Amino acid sequence: MTQYLVSVLTEGAIFGIMALGLNVIWGWSGDFDLAYYGYVALGAYMTLVLTIGRQPPPVQYILGLELPYPVAVLLAVASAMALALVIGLIALRHLRGIYFSIVTLGAVYVLYAMAGQFVPLFNGYQGLSGLINPMADALGIDFNSYQYFFLGLAIAVFLLVYFFMSRVSSSRFGLALRSLREDERAAAAFGRDIYRLKLKAYVLGAGLGGLGGALFAAYLSAFNTSAWAPLETVVLYAAILVGGRGNIRGVVLGVLIVYVLIEESTRFLPEIPGHPGIVLALRPIVIGAALVLFLRFRPQGLLPERHYVDRVQPAAAEANAP
Amino acid sequence: MTAAGPVALDVRGLSKHFGGVRAVDDCSFIAPKGKVTGLIGPNGAGKSTAIDLISGFKLPDAGSVVFEGKALQGLSPHRISRLGLIRTFQTPREWRELTVLENVVLARWDESRETFWRGVLGLRQAGREATLSELSEARGILQEFGLIALRNERAGNLSGGQKRLVEFARIRMAKPQLVILDEPMGGVNPVLGERMALAIEGFITAGTSVIVVEHNLPFIERVTDHVVVMSQGSVIANGPFESLRSNQAVVDAYLGEMPTYEQPGA
Amino acid sequence: MTAAILSLSAVAFTLEYAVTNVANLSHGEILTVGAYAALVVHQRTGSALAAALAAAAAGGLLALAMHAAVVDRFIRRGTPTLVIFIATLGLSFVIQNLLVIRFGAANVAYTIPSGAPFELGPFLWTAVDLEIIVSALAITAVLYLIISHTKFGKALRAVSQNRELARVSGINADVVASATWFLAGLVAGYAGFILAESVGTFNPSFGFGFFLITLTAAVAGGLGRAFSTMVGAIIVGIALEFVGGYVSAGYNLAFAFAILAVVILVRPRGLFVNARRSVFE
Repeated sequence: MTQYLVSVLTEGAIFGIMALGLNVIWGWSGDFDLAYYGYVALGAYMTLVLTIGRQPPPVQYILGLELPYPVAVLLAVASAMALALVIGLIALRHLRGIYFSIVTLGAVYVLYAMAGQFVPLFNGYQGLSGLINPMADALGIDFNSYQYFFLGLAIAVFLLVYFFMSRVSSSRFGLALRSLREDERAAAAFGRDIYRLKLKAYVLGAGLGGLGGALFAAYLSAFNTSAWAPLETVVLYAAILVGGRGNIRGVVLGVLIVYVLIEESTRFLPEIPGHPGIVLALRPIVIGAALVLFLRFRPQGLLPERHYVDRVQPAAAEANAP
Repeated sequence: MTAAGPVALDVRGLSKHFGGVRAVDDCSFIAPKGKVTGLIGPNGAGKSTAIDLISGFKLPDAGSVVFEGKALQGLSPHRISRLGLIRTFQTPREWRELTVLENVVLARWDESRETFWRGVLGLRQAGREATLSELSEARGILQEFGLIALRNERAGNLSGGQKRLVEFARIRMAKPQLVILDEPMGGVNPVLGERMALAIEGFITAGTSVIVVEHNLPFIERVTDHVVVMSQGSVIANGPFESLRSNQAVVDAYLGEMPTYEQPGA
Repeated sequence: MTAAILSLSAVAFTLEYAVTNVANLSHGEILTVGAYAALVVHQRTGSALAAALAAAAAGGLLALAMHAAVVDRFIRRGTPTLVIFIATLGLSFVIQNLLVIRFGAANVAYTIPSGAPFELGPFLWTAVDLEIIVSALAITAVLYLIISHTKFGKALRAVSQNRELARVSGINADVVASATWFLAGLVAGYAGFILAESVGTFNPSFGFGFFLITLTAAVAGGLGRAFSTMVGAIIVGIALEFVGGYVSAGYNLAFAFAILAVVILVRPRGLFVNARRSVFE
């Protein structure tokens, strides 16, 4: 049971980081990005090729370095941000609404095809493996307590990200991003460089996706095309929507509900004899239905976005009210 | 062009064609500094397109726009805005989910305080004073516009007239050298007309020159010093409102239906 | 042949878009449901014709239900189209996995004896190939007649150009939208049937994969414009066949999206131009 709890919490922290990143792009800047899980995957792949070293043929992939895990994580985040910069430069220039979504959807499927088909990149469908308990030796952590160490690491990174996002949320930068979401023509009329701001948000969000992926790779110790699907992003969207788009507490609540509650509760449903896979199929049904129902009946989510409430009472406030 | 004295905006030969349609065709006019210039004309005269061209939201095919001595051609909307020329739109474009106060505070663009790194790493204490003085300035403006009680309200919940007032408050906050108001009376209860007129006088007092596009001619007569008349993409007349009543080209453009302020509909 | 199936699927998708301004991300599931309906009916009756009709009917009913139960409800509340777009993605998840529960996630075989291939021009053909191409051409012709020569087609074009204006000029826009989705569903369901026939196997995510190519073709051609979409579909379809998509199907989609990216990027509509292309030609 403890082991189980540890794995749930570790995953929750990792998905929390990813969801907070996507919230920058969709929750604040307002772009429905379907390439997001591509940045997660790239972060995971890059972490592996930077840490696991060379392996004998027929296994092949780029780099094959043996960098320390923390360095690899930083480089993985940087590569996710670089990819987001390239895609964002193209897709955010002129495209909005569904056109932006469609192009990013295309981008992630191209990445998925490359990862699966182009073997020299990340070893194709076989994928990469061999990142076992990074930093364990250096820190002298034994095999049994490593999972607790990694849980602590994931939670620490999550809290750091949460703290940064709460700063961003209440900053002028965060407010300016929201103005793009609400009306970008007005934002431009009042001096905002829409393209730059959106690009910054996009790269920042993708960086957090890459960070989530880098942790995920270490948690799984391997990564391949069956460990991710381009549309995994939709689950992150469901979490943000259910919890409260734009509200970082809401996003975390959404991750708890969607990943922990829905995923874990379906895990314990009994299999129906003769119909394998039913329980596995229920999960996306519930998530898909939650997406539709929340968009329809509670688009602001369980914890709506919070705004600055001014409590200073100017002397003549009431007298002047219209 | 008879305008004497300092010039806020000098538009020359501005043209824009859409397919075969000449939306704006060799349009030239001057908006004097410290004055209210009206821009009128029948529907489809090209007024809105002209505003889009001046403010950088559309690219002109030809012509030049000089604002306070600086050429604006080729600049993007945010650059033009940062130079001190702000425009509004035919429909109020409030940031709906933000509060009224947030809408007003955010009207002032301040790059140094808006960067990502400042947001994440900026010392709370350092940013605080600027934020507080900005907030109290915004409160003062809202009070002036009678919106103070609504400052924590979601801007999208306001009535059409209130949204226009928020827009005016945003412009006061931004303190541009020139504002172009696109149909500020559109969708507004005419009862608010006098209030809007006073607000426009307030802009002039605060050092903001005004160009106002409006169909409501009594309102134009009330607020403007000088009127530019457009028809079919070009300027056909300009001068004080009074002088235009007898101008045959203007009367023709409006099919002779030019109401007076004293006797509307007479 | 891909081009023929693709053009049916893409035109159906673009018709859905034309009357609602919603890009239906669960469009692929109409094809999938059509394929399963065809399989079930074919097994029961042994008739390919009955299977084709069942596929179209199932597709039509599913599209009608999608419109009535989800899309139209959002539209009535004035929901932004991007939000409805997201909702249709959720719907796609639901339908795909309901199919998994009913039919299992594994591939099912759907093979029809296609007879000996014969030569016609430079290509080798089978009876199934011929059936697909002839029926696609016939359906396209019927659609063309409906859209450009009937009273319903006129109403459809009016609604696609401006729903409010159509309403005030006495067109029942809601009925036209529902009927258009039904019509699009019939076509897409049938497209699912011929796609299943030509591929030979399918599973619950089969329509979604094809939908991604459909989306590419429709957007490249001109979303919401039936005949430009058809041209886009034929170009994308032929390009895919020439690229040797059958050898490495994995790159197929990547290639299709590369075409789309180029099309979108060389025709920028300007930063502040609304990205919606609503005019129906």
